[in-house]
Amino acid sequence: MIQVKQLSKSFADLEVLKNIDLEVEKSEVVVLIGGSGSGKSTLLRCLNFLEIANSGEILLNGKSIDDKTNLNKVREKVGMVFQHFNLFPHKTVLENVMEAPIYVKGVDKQKAKQQALNLLEKVGLKEHVHYYPDHLSGGQKQRVAIARSLAMEPDVMLFDEPTSALDPELVGEVLQVMKNLAEEGMTMIVVTHEMGFAREMADRVIMLADGVIIEEGHPDEFFTNPKHDRTQRFLKQIL
Amino acid sequence: MEFFTNILSIFQEHGTAFLEATWLTVSITAVSLLIATLIGVVVAGLKLSSIKLLNLIADLYIGIIRGTPLIVQIMFLYYGIANFIMLDSFTAGAIALGVHSGAYIAEIFRGAIQSIDKGQLEAARSLGMPTTLAMRRIVFPQAFKRAIPSLGNQFIIGLKDSSLVAYISVTELFNTALSAQGENYMPFETYFVVGIYYLILVLIFTQIMNRVERKFDVNRPKKVKVA
Repeated sequence: MIQVKQLSKSFADLEVLKNIDLEVEKSEVVVLIGGSGSGKSTLLRCLNFLEIANSGEILLNGKSIDDKTNLNKVREKVGMVFQHFNLFPHKTVLENVMEAPIYVKGVDKQKAKQQALNLLEKVGLKEHVHYYPDHLSGGQKQRVAIARSLAMEPDVMLFDEPTSALDPELVGEVLQVMKNLAEEGMTMIVVTHEMGFAREMADRVIMLADGVIIEEGHPDEFFTNPKHDRTQRFLKQIL
Repeated sequence: MEFFTNILSIFQEHGTAFLEATWLTVSITAVSLLIATLIGVVVAGLKLSSIKLLNLIADLYIGIIRGTPLIVQIMFLYYGIANFIMLDSFTAGAIALGVHSGAYIAEIFRGAIQSIDKGQLEAARSLGMPTTLAMRRIVFPQAFKRAIPSLGNQFIIGLKDSSLVAYISVTELFNTALSAQGENYMPFETYFVVGIYYLILVLIFTQIMNRVERKFDVNRPKKVKVA
Protein backbone atom coordinates (compact mmCIF):
# COMPACT_ATOMS: atom_id res chain seq x y z
CA MET A 1 0.00 0.00 0.00
CA ILE A 2 2.68 2.48 1.07
CA GLN A 3 6.33 2.09 0.23
CA VAL A 4 8.98 4.47 1.47
CA LYS A 5 12.40 4.25 -0.05
CA GLN A 6 15.51 5.97 1.26
CA LEU A 7 13.52 8.93 2.57
CA SER A 8 15.54 11.80 4.05
CA LYS A 9 14.40 15.09 5.47
CA SER A 10 16.35 17.98 6.95
CA PHE A 11 15.29 21.25 8.49
CA ALA A 12 18.14 23.64 7.74
CA ASP A 13 21.20 21.83 9.12
CA LEU A 14 19.22 19.38 11.20
CA GLU A 15 18.84 15.94 9.66
CA VAL A 16 15.54 14.64 10.99
CA LEU A 17 15.08 11.54 8.84
CA LYS A 18 17.96 9.52 7.44
CA ASN A 19 17.33 7.10 4.58
CA ILE A 20 14.12 5.63 5.94
CA ASP A 21 12.83 2.45 4.28
CA LEU A 22 9.35 1.38 5.20
CA GLU A 23 6.63 -0.73 3.69
CA VAL A 24 3.08 -0.90 4.98
CA GLU A 25 0.64 -3.50 3.69
CA LYS A 26 -3.06 -3.01 3.21
CA SER A 27 -4.97 -3.36 6.50
CA GLU A 28 -1.77 -3.33 8.46
CA VAL A 29 -1.58 -1.37 11.71
CA VAL A 30 1.89 0.05 12.27
CA VAL A 31 2.80 1.85 15.46
CA LEU A 32 5.74 4.25 15.39
CA ILE A 33 7.45 4.95 18.67
CA GLY A 34 10.51 6.86 19.69
CA GLY A 35 11.65 9.69 21.87
CA SER A 36 11.13 13.37 21.32
CA GLY A 37 12.99 14.47 18.21
CA SER A 38 13.35 10.94 16.89
CA GLY A 39 11.62 11.95 13.63
CA LYS A 40 8.42 9.94 14.05
CA SER A 41 6.06 12.87 13.53
CA THR A 42 8.11 14.18 10.64
CA LEU A 43 7.94 10.77 8.97
CA LEU A 44 4.17 10.82 9.29
CA ARG A 45 3.96 14.36 7.93
CA CYS A 46 6.11 13.37 4.96
CA LEU A 47 3.68 10.58 4.16
CA ASN A 48 0.89 13.02 3.38
CA PHE A 49 3.26 15.66 2.11
CA LEU A 50 2.68 18.30 4.75
CA GLU A 51 6.45 18.12 4.76
CA ILE A 52 8.26 17.48 1.52
CA ALA A 53 11.17 15.08 1.89
CA ASN A 54 14.56 16.21 0.59
CA SER A 55 15.29 12.91 -1.06
CA GLY A 56 13.93 9.42 -1.45
CA GLU A 57 10.73 8.07 -2.86
CA ILE A 58 7.21 7.42 -1.63
CA LEU A 59 4.92 5.03 -3.50
CA LEU A 60 1.21 4.90 -2.86
CA ASN A 61 -0.61 1.85 -4.22
CA GLY A 62 2.46 1.10 -6.32
CA LYS A 63 2.54 4.53 -7.90
CA SER A 64 5.50 6.78 -7.26
CA ILE A 65 4.64 10.27 -6.11
CA ASP A 66 6.82 12.86 -7.80
CA ASP A 67 6.80 16.53 -8.75
CA LYS A 68 4.08 15.96 -11.31
CA THR A 69 1.68 14.23 -8.94
CA ASN A 70 -1.21 16.35 -7.71
CA LEU A 71 -0.56 16.27 -3.98
CA ASN A 72 -4.11 17.33 -3.19
CA LYS A 73 -5.33 14.10 -4.80
CA VAL A 74 -2.81 12.14 -2.75
CA ARG A 75 -3.91 13.80 0.48
CA GLU A 76 -7.52 12.90 -0.24
CA LYS A 77 -6.46 9.28 0.05
CA VAL A 78 -4.20 9.71 3.08
CA GLY A 79 -6.18 10.79 6.13
CA MET A 80 -4.44 12.52 9.01
CA VAL A 81 -5.42 12.94 12.63
CA PHE A 82 -3.49 15.57 14.58
CA GLN A 83 -2.43 15.79 18.19
CA HIS A 84 -4.35 19.03 18.64
CA PHE A 85 -7.39 17.95 16.62
CA ASN A 86 -7.39 21.06 14.41
CA LEU A 87 -11.15 21.05 14.03
CA PHE A 88 -12.60 24.04 12.21
CA PRO A 89 -13.96 26.15 15.10
CA HIS A 90 -16.32 28.21 12.93
CA LYS A 91 -18.18 25.14 11.74
CA THR A 92 -20.41 22.71 13.60
CA VAL A 93 -19.39 19.11 14.12
CA LEU A 94 -21.54 18.09 11.18
CA GLU A 95 -20.15 20.84 8.95
CA ASN A 96 -16.61 19.86 9.90
CA VAL A 97 -17.22 16.37 8.58
CA MET A 98 -19.17 17.48 5.48
CA GLU A 99 -16.73 20.21 4.42
CA ALA A 100 -14.15 18.25 2.46
CA PRO A 101 -16.48 15.78 0.72
CA ILE A 102 -18.57 18.68 -0.58
CA TYR A 103 -15.86 21.17 -1.48
CA VAL A 104 -13.07 18.81 -2.48
CA LYS A 105 -14.86 15.80 -3.92
CA GLY A 106 -17.99 17.60 -5.06
CA VAL A 107 -20.29 15.19 -3.26
CA ASP A 108 -23.96 16.19 -3.22
CA LYS A 109 -24.91 17.99 0.03
CA GLN A 110 -27.61 15.57 1.10
CA LYS A 111 -25.37 12.61 0.45
CA ALA A 112 -22.48 14.21 2.31
CA LYS A 113 -24.78 14.92 5.24
CA GLN A 114 -26.01 11.35 5.40
CA GLN A 115 -22.48 10.02 5.24
CA ALA A 116 -21.36 12.47 7.93
CA LEU A 117 -24.22 11.45 10.21
CA ASN A 118 -23.30 7.79 9.75
CA LEU A 119 -19.67 8.46 10.56
CA LEU A 120 -20.52 10.56 13.60
CA GLU A 121 -22.78 7.80 14.85
CA LYS A 122 -19.92 5.39 14.37
CA VAL A 123 -17.62 7.48 16.57
CA GLY A 124 -20.40 7.89 19.13
CA LEU A 125 -21.24 11.53 18.55
CA LYS A 126 -24.70 11.34 17.03
CA GLU A 127 -26.04 13.60 19.78
CA HIS A 128 -23.45 16.29 19.16
CA VAL A 129 -23.72 16.93 15.44
CA HIS A 130 -24.92 20.53 15.83
CA TYR A 131 -22.39 21.51 18.48
CA TYR A 132 -19.47 23.76 17.77
CA PRO A 133 -16.03 22.29 18.55
CA ASP A 134 -15.48 24.65 21.48
CA HIS A 135 -18.34 22.94 23.30
CA LEU A 136 -16.79 19.49 23.08
CA SER A 137 -14.31 17.69 25.32
CA GLY A 138 -10.91 16.79 23.91
CA GLY A 139 -11.91 13.19 23.41
CA GLN A 140 -15.03 14.21 21.54
CA LYS A 141 -13.03 16.62 19.40
CA GLN A 142 -10.58 13.93 18.43
CA ARG A 143 -13.40 11.57 17.51
CA VAL A 144 -14.88 14.27 15.27
CA ALA A 145 -11.45 14.73 13.70
CA ILE A 146 -11.31 11.01 12.96
CA ALA A 147 -14.78 11.11 11.40
CA ARG A 148 -13.76 14.16 9.36
CA SER A 149 -10.80 12.26 7.94
CA LEU A 150 -12.84 9.14 7.28
CA ALA A 151 -15.36 11.18 5.32
CA MET A 152 -12.83 11.40 2.50
CA GLU A 153 -12.75 7.58 2.38
CA PRO A 154 -8.96 7.39 2.69
CA ASP A 155 -6.90 4.32 1.87
CA VAL A 156 -4.72 4.88 4.89
CA MET A 157 -5.06 6.83 8.13
CA LEU A 158 -2.13 8.56 9.82
CA PHE A 159 -2.41 9.34 13.53
CA ASP A 160 0.05 11.85 14.99
CA GLU A 161 -0.06 11.33 18.76
CA PRO A 162 -3.86 11.38 18.74
CA THR A 163 -4.23 11.03 22.51
CA SER A 164 -1.26 13.07 23.76
CA ALA A 165 -3.27 16.24 24.29
CA LEU A 166 -6.10 14.51 26.13
CA ASP A 167 -6.92 14.25 29.80
CA PRO A 168 -6.16 10.69 30.90
CA GLU A 169 -9.80 9.71 31.36
CA LEU A 170 -10.57 10.68 27.75
CA VAL A 171 -7.87 8.61 26.13
CA GLY A 172 -9.88 5.40 26.17
CA GLU A 173 -12.78 6.62 24.04
CA VAL A 174 -10.43 7.72 21.27
CA LEU A 175 -8.43 4.50 21.38
CA GLN A 176 -11.68 2.54 21.19
CA VAL A 177 -12.63 4.31 17.96
CA MET A 178 -9.18 3.55 16.59
CA LYS A 179 -9.48 -0.09 17.57
CA ASN A 180 -12.82 -0.38 15.80
CA LEU A 181 -11.24 1.15 12.75
CA ALA A 182 -8.34 -1.29 12.82
CA GLU A 183 -10.73 -4.20 13.18
CA GLU A 184 -12.60 -3.03 10.10
CA GLY A 185 -9.36 -3.40 8.18
CA MET A 186 -8.24 0.21 7.88
CA THR A 187 -4.57 0.64 7.09
CA MET A 188 -3.16 2.72 9.93
CA ILE A 189 0.15 4.28 10.85
CA VAL A 190 0.06 5.52 14.41
CA VAL A 191 2.55 7.62 16.32
CA THR A 192 1.69 7.11 19.97
CA HIS A 193 2.95 6.59 23.47
CA GLU A 194 -0.01 4.33 24.29
CA MET A 195 1.84 1.05 24.58
CA GLY A 196 -1.34 -0.77 25.51
CA PHE A 197 -2.80 0.10 22.14
CA ALA A 198 0.42 -0.91 20.41
CA ARG A 199 0.54 -4.24 22.18
CA GLU A 200 -3.09 -5.02 21.48
CA MET A 201 -3.64 -3.65 17.98
CA ALA A 202 -0.33 -3.26 16.18
CA ASP A 203 0.79 -5.74 13.56
CA ARG A 204 4.18 -4.16 13.77
CA VAL A 205 5.94 -1.75 16.10
CA ILE A 206 8.74 0.43 14.77
CA MET A 207 11.25 2.22 16.94
CA LEU A 208 12.82 5.39 15.58
CA ALA A 209 15.83 7.10 17.07
CA ASP A 210 17.73 10.05 15.59
CA GLY A 211 15.88 9.71 12.30
CA VAL A 212 16.70 6.05 11.80
CA ILE A 213 14.59 2.92 12.24
CA ILE A 214 16.58 1.03 14.84
CA GLU A 215 14.23 -1.83 15.51
CA GLU A 216 10.92 -3.25 14.36
CA GLY A 217 8.88 -6.31 15.05
CA HIS A 218 5.62 -7.85 16.12
CA PRO A 219 4.52 -6.37 19.45
CA ASP A 220 4.76 -9.72 21.27
CA GLU A 221 8.39 -9.99 20.39
CA PHE A 222 9.11 -6.26 20.45
CA PHE A 223 7.86 -5.59 23.96
CA THR A 224 9.03 -8.78 25.66
CA ASN A 225 12.38 -9.04 24.04
CA PRO A 226 13.64 -5.74 22.62
CA LYS A 227 17.04 -6.19 21.01
CA HIS A 228 18.43 -2.69 20.75
CA ASP A 229 19.56 -1.16 24.01
CA ARG A 230 18.00 2.20 23.07
CA THR A 231 14.67 0.45 22.67
CA GLN A 232 15.13 -1.22 26.04
CA ARG A 233 15.88 2.10 27.68
CA PHE A 234 12.98 3.82 25.95
CA LEU A 235 10.50 1.14 26.94
CA LYS A 236 11.74 1.18 30.52
CA GLN A 237 11.16 4.91 30.70
CA ILE A 238 7.72 4.85 29.20
CA LEU A 239 6.20 1.72 30.75
CA MET B 1 -29.23 79.00 31.38
CA GLU B 2 -27.65 81.11 28.71
CA PHE B 3 -25.85 78.00 27.52
CA PHE B 4 -29.15 76.27 26.74
CA THR B 5 -30.68 79.22 24.95
CA ASN B 6 -27.52 79.50 22.88
CA ILE B 7 -27.68 75.83 22.00
CA LEU B 8 -31.31 76.26 21.02
CA SER B 9 -30.46 79.18 18.79
CA ILE B 10 -27.75 77.13 17.09
CA PHE B 11 -30.30 74.48 16.27
CA GLN B 12 -32.71 77.11 15.01
CA GLU B 13 -30.16 78.84 12.81
CA HIS B 14 -28.02 75.92 11.64
CA GLY B 15 -30.23 72.90 12.20
CA THR B 16 -30.75 72.17 8.51
CA ALA B 17 -27.10 72.77 7.71
CA PHE B 18 -26.06 70.31 10.41
CA LEU B 19 -28.53 67.76 9.10
CA GLU B 20 -27.15 68.00 5.58
CA ALA B 21 -23.65 67.99 6.99
CA THR B 22 -24.38 64.79 8.92
CA TRP B 23 -25.40 63.16 5.68
CA LEU B 24 -22.14 64.29 4.03
CA THR B 25 -20.07 63.02 6.96
CA VAL B 26 -21.81 59.66 6.84
CA SER B 27 -21.52 59.32 3.08
CA ILE B 28 -17.89 60.38 2.77
CA THR B 29 -17.05 58.01 5.65
CA ALA B 30 -18.94 55.16 4.01
CA VAL B 31 -17.28 55.66 0.62
CA SER B 32 -13.82 56.03 2.17
CA LEU B 33 -14.21 52.93 4.35
CA LEU B 34 -15.34 50.92 1.35
CA ILE B 35 -12.22 52.02 -0.52
CA ALA B 36 -10.13 51.35 2.59
CA THR B 37 -11.46 47.82 3.04
CA LEU B 38 -10.82 46.93 -0.59
CA ILE B 39 -7.29 48.34 -0.37
CA GLY B 40 -6.84 46.53 2.95
CA VAL B 41 -7.72 43.14 1.45
CA VAL B 42 -5.44 43.62 -1.55
CA VAL B 43 -2.48 45.00 0.41
CA ALA B 44 -2.78 42.30 3.10
CA GLY B 45 -2.59 39.81 0.23
CA LEU B 46 0.52 41.52 -1.13
CA LYS B 47 2.15 41.45 2.30
CA LEU B 48 1.44 37.76 2.78
CA SER B 49 2.57 36.85 -0.71
CA SER B 50 5.75 34.87 -1.14
CA ILE B 51 6.82 37.19 -3.95
CA LYS B 52 9.38 39.67 -2.61
CA LEU B 53 8.45 42.48 -5.01
CA LEU B 54 4.82 42.41 -3.87
CA ASN B 55 5.91 42.54 -0.21
CA LEU B 56 8.04 45.56 -1.08
CA ILE B 57 5.15 47.37 -2.76
CA ALA B 58 2.93 46.74 0.27
CA ASP B 59 5.64 47.89 2.70
CA LEU B 60 6.24 51.02 0.67
CA TYR B 61 2.55 51.91 0.63
CA ILE B 62 2.05 51.24 4.33
CA GLY B 63 5.28 53.04 5.20
CA ILE B 64 4.41 56.21 3.28
CA ILE B 65 0.82 56.38 4.46
CA ARG B 66 1.58 55.71 8.09
CA GLY B 67 4.58 58.00 7.96
CA THR B 68 2.77 61.14 6.83
CA PRO B 69 -0.09 63.09 8.43
CA LEU B 70 -3.58 62.58 7.06
CA ILE B 71 -4.12 66.31 6.66
CA VAL B 72 -1.04 66.47 4.42
CA GLN B 73 -2.41 63.59 2.33
CA ILE B 74 -5.77 65.31 2.00
CA MET B 75 -4.24 68.65 1.02
CA PHE B 76 -1.88 66.95 -1.40
CA LEU B 77 -4.68 65.13 -3.18
CA TYR B 78 -6.88 68.22 -3.45
CA TYR B 79 -4.50 71.15 -3.91
CA GLY B 80 -1.16 69.44 -4.49
CA ILE B 81 -2.02 67.62 -7.67
CA ALA B 82 -4.59 70.14 -8.91
CA ASN B 83 -2.27 71.11 -11.77
CA PHE B 84 -2.45 67.56 -13.14
CA ILE B 85 -5.80 66.26 -12.02
CA MET B 86 -8.54 68.44 -10.60
CA LEU B 87 -10.60 66.31 -8.25
CA ASP B 88 -13.76 67.69 -6.70
CA SER B 89 -13.46 68.05 -2.95
CA PHE B 90 -15.69 65.09 -2.04
CA THR B 91 -13.80 62.73 -4.35
CA ALA B 92 -10.39 63.93 -3.20
CA GLY B 93 -11.48 63.68 0.42
CA ALA B 94 -12.98 60.20 0.08
CA ILE B 95 -9.92 58.87 -1.74
CA ALA B 96 -7.49 60.43 0.75
CA LEU B 97 -9.42 59.04 3.72
CA GLY B 98 -9.76 55.64 2.05
CA VAL B 99 -6.11 55.35 1.07
CA HIS B 100 -5.16 56.41 4.58
CA SER B 101 -7.36 53.92 6.47
CA GLY B 102 -6.47 51.25 3.91
CA ALA B 103 -2.92 51.04 5.24
CA TYR B 104 -4.13 50.38 8.77
CA ILE B 105 -6.83 47.96 7.67
CA ALA B 106 -4.28 46.02 5.61
CA GLU B 107 -2.25 45.50 8.77
CA ILE B 108 -5.36 44.45 10.69
CA PHE B 109 -6.21 41.82 8.05
CA ARG B 110 -2.63 40.61 7.82
CA GLY B 111 -2.36 40.23 11.58
CA ALA B 112 -5.68 38.42 11.78
CA ILE B 113 -4.75 35.96 9.04
CA GLN B 114 -1.35 35.29 10.61
CA SER B 115 -2.95 34.73 13.99
CA ILE B 116 -4.90 31.70 12.75
CA ASP B 117 -3.22 28.52 13.96
CA LYS B 118 -1.13 26.84 11.27
CA GLY B 119 -2.87 23.59 12.17
CA GLN B 120 -6.04 24.90 10.54
CA LEU B 121 -4.43 25.17 7.14
CA GLU B 122 -2.67 21.83 7.65
CA ALA B 123 -5.90 20.08 8.58
CA ALA B 124 -7.63 21.52 5.53
CA ARG B 125 -4.78 20.52 3.25
CA SER B 126 -4.62 17.05 4.78
CA LEU B 127 -8.21 16.62 3.61
CA GLY B 128 -7.14 17.32 0.05
CA MET B 129 -8.09 20.99 -0.10
CA PRO B 130 -5.96 23.09 -2.44
CA THR B 131 -4.39 26.00 -0.55
CA THR B 132 -6.63 28.65 -2.12
CA LEU B 133 -9.78 26.74 -1.19
CA ALA B 134 -8.45 26.13 2.31
CA MET B 135 -7.74 29.84 2.73
CA ARG B 136 -11.17 30.81 1.46
CA ARG B 137 -13.21 28.24 3.39
CA ILE B 138 -11.19 27.79 6.56
CA VAL B 139 -8.66 30.56 7.26
CA PHE B 140 -10.35 33.75 6.01
CA PRO B 141 -13.67 33.30 7.84
CA GLN B 142 -11.84 32.78 11.12
CA ALA B 143 -9.47 35.65 10.43
CA PHE B 144 -12.34 37.98 9.55
CA LYS B 145 -14.10 37.18 12.80
CA ARG B 146 -10.92 37.91 14.70
CA ALA B 147 -10.44 41.19 12.79
CA ILE B 148 -13.89 42.60 13.60
CA PRO B 149 -13.05 44.40 16.87
CA SER B 150 -9.95 46.11 15.43
CA LEU B 151 -11.81 46.80 12.23
CA GLY B 152 -14.60 48.50 14.18
CA ASN B 153 -12.03 50.56 15.99
CA GLN B 154 -10.42 51.63 12.73
CA PHE B 155 -13.81 52.47 11.24
CA ILE B 156 -14.57 54.77 14.18
CA ILE B 157 -11.21 56.48 13.72
CA GLY B 158 -12.09 56.85 10.03
CA LEU B 159 -15.43 58.42 10.88
CA LYS B 160 -13.82 61.00 13.14
CA ASP B 161 -10.90 61.61 10.77
CA SER B 162 -13.42 62.58 8.11
CA SER B 163 -13.65 65.92 9.96
CA LEU B 164 -10.30 66.84 8.37
CA VAL B 165 -11.87 67.16 4.92
CA ALA B 166 -13.45 70.34 6.30
CA TYR B 167 -10.20 71.97 5.18
CA ILE B 168 -10.83 71.17 1.54
CA SER B 169 -14.30 72.70 1.80
CA VAL B 170 -16.40 69.57 2.02
CA THR B 171 -19.36 70.94 3.96
CA GLU B 172 -19.53 68.06 6.40
CA LEU B 173 -20.11 68.41 10.15
CA PHE B 174 -16.88 70.04 11.22
CA ASN B 175 -16.84 72.42 8.26
CA THR B 176 -20.39 73.43 9.11
CA ALA B 177 -19.38 74.04 12.72
CA LEU B 178 -16.49 76.20 11.58
CA SER B 179 -18.72 78.41 9.50
CA ALA B 180 -21.50 78.47 12.10
CA GLN B 181 -19.27 79.74 14.90
CA GLY B 182 -17.89 82.32 12.48
CA GLU B 183 -21.39 83.68 12.17
CA ASN B 184 -22.73 83.30 15.70
CA TYR B 185 -19.54 83.97 17.72
CA MET B 186 -20.45 81.10 20.04
CA PRO B 187 -17.47 78.73 19.66
CA PHE B 188 -18.12 77.00 22.98
CA GLU B 189 -21.70 76.01 22.20
CA THR B 190 -21.07 75.34 18.49
CA TYR B 191 -18.18 72.95 19.02
CA PHE B 192 -20.11 71.37 21.86
CA VAL B 193 -23.01 70.69 19.50
CA VAL B 194 -20.85 69.29 16.72
CA GLY B 195 -19.13 67.08 19.29
CA ILE B 196 -22.52 65.67 20.23
CA TYR B 197 -23.25 64.92 16.57
CA TYR B 198 -20.03 62.93 16.23
CA LEU B 199 -20.65 61.18 19.54
CA ILE B 200 -24.11 60.03 18.43
CA LEU B 201 -22.77 58.78 15.08
CA VAL B 202 -20.01 56.84 16.84
CA LEU B 203 -22.46 55.33 19.33
CA ILE B 204 -24.78 54.18 16.54
CA PHE B 205 -21.84 52.73 14.69
CA THR B 206 -20.55 50.95 17.80
CA GLN B 207 -23.94 49.28 18.19
CA ILE B 208 -23.83 48.06 14.59
CA MET B 209 -20.33 46.65 15.06
CA ASN B 210 -21.36 44.90 18.27
CA ARG B 211 -24.15 43.20 16.40
CA VAL B 212 -21.83 42.11 13.62
CA GLU B 213 -19.43 40.74 16.21
CA ARG B 214 -22.19 38.78 17.94
CA LYS B 215 -23.36 37.40 14.63
CA PHE B 216 -19.94 35.90 13.96
CA ASP B 217 -19.49 34.56 17.47
CA VAL B 218 -20.31 30.87 17.21
CA ASN B 219 -19.67 30.41 20.90
CA ARG B 220 -22.93 31.99 21.84
CA PRO B 221 -25.15 30.30 19.30
CA LYS B 222 -28.88 29.93 19.26
CA LYS B 223 -28.42 26.22 19.69
CA VAL B 224 -28.58 25.41 23.36
CA LYS B 225 -26.23 22.85 24.80
CA VAL B 226 -28.09 19.69 25.72
CA ALA B 227 -26.18 17.67 28.23
